Amino acid sequence: MTDDELDQRVRASILAEELDTARLERSVRQRIGRAGVPRWALATVAGIILVIAGGLTYRVFFRPPPHICVAAARDHNHEVVNGAPREWLSDPAAIQSLAAQQGVPSTAIAALATTGYRLERGRLCFLQRQIFLHLVYSRNGEELSVYLRPRGSDSPFDRSVRQASVGTEDLAYFQTDRLTVVVVDAWRAQAAVFARAAARVL
Amino acid sequence: MPHLAALLRVARRLTFDNAAAEDLVQETMLLAWRGFHQFQPGTNARAWLFRILFNAFYGEGRKSQRASGPLPSSTVVDSRLQEAAEISEALQTLSLEHRTVVLLAVVEGFTCQEIAGILNVPIGTVMSRLSRARQELRNSLAPLAKEAYR
Repeated sequence: MTDDELDQRVRASILAEELDTARLERSVRQRIGRAGVPRWALATVAGIILVIAGGLTYRVFFRPPPHICVAAARDHNHEVVNGAPREWLSDPAAIQSLAAQQGVPSTAIAALATTGYRLERGRLCFLQRQIFLHLVYSRNGEELSVYLRPRGSDSPFDRSVRQASVGTEDLAYFQTDRLTVVVVDAWRAQAAVFARAAARVL
Repeated sequence: MPHLAALLRVARRLTFDNAAAEDLVQETMLLAWRGFHQFQPGTNARAWLFRILFNAFYGEGRKSQRASGPLPSSTVVDSRLQEAAEISEALQTLSLEHRTVVLLAVVEGFTCQEIAGILNVPIGTVMSRLSRARQELRNSLAPLAKEAYR
């Protein structure tokens, strides 16, 4: 008897057996069901949840400031903190006029006067190739910068005040239905105080 | 559930006990479920399951029993009932190692390389075990063969 003949006979004999696997399959499914979700699956799900939670936490608490805010911080540091020679308008009426030319409502300038800060001077500047009205306010001899720009009324906006830091500068920024507002200072987080007050009146 | 019949077929001839064989297969499937992250996609799932089955069989310290009679509740539908019984008996006389390679190679169709992986032994060992197992089977079945070819 050759190997092939032998193998064929053994194989045919064993494979001819009828096996009822239906009951066994039910038992296996029951045991797997009782065993619950395997640890590796739990670990995978837990890992995914951690990644999502970490991402959300990062977005909420550590979201990098928009590029426009970074540019504003640099501009404030250069023009206000370091006092780069620039032509400023100090007459409130002239500043109001300049604001009106840029589409910033005159009521906005008036409203900001109610925040307890004094308008010192103003000029136009470019941040990220966009024209902003740069206003410098002061209180107790300390100065902070407010950057204003009209925004499209049909685009969604976020009125909540967000904070960030860029280098030594503190930032606070928000939007209204008509304006984008960025406040920058280099001392005692006054940017956020001003921004919250401004968000209430604008 | 794929491969369940093949696992049960081999388990029955490892344990020679229907209940023990079903327990072994259940345990195998449970271990496979728990350790599914260790399975590498693209590799042979059937060989992986058999490896788990043998690990469970040896890990539990199960020993081959040499049953004196045919497997209980084994229903043989082949008309050559006598030959099936003789072959079954001849298989039971083999040592566990020899019976294992016969079941995996001859019945389940695994290659020697795959069997070496399943049993974690060198391929040469598989080949020599298979050769000796065939010889033993041939000796056991010789009278039957003479009758069959008469």
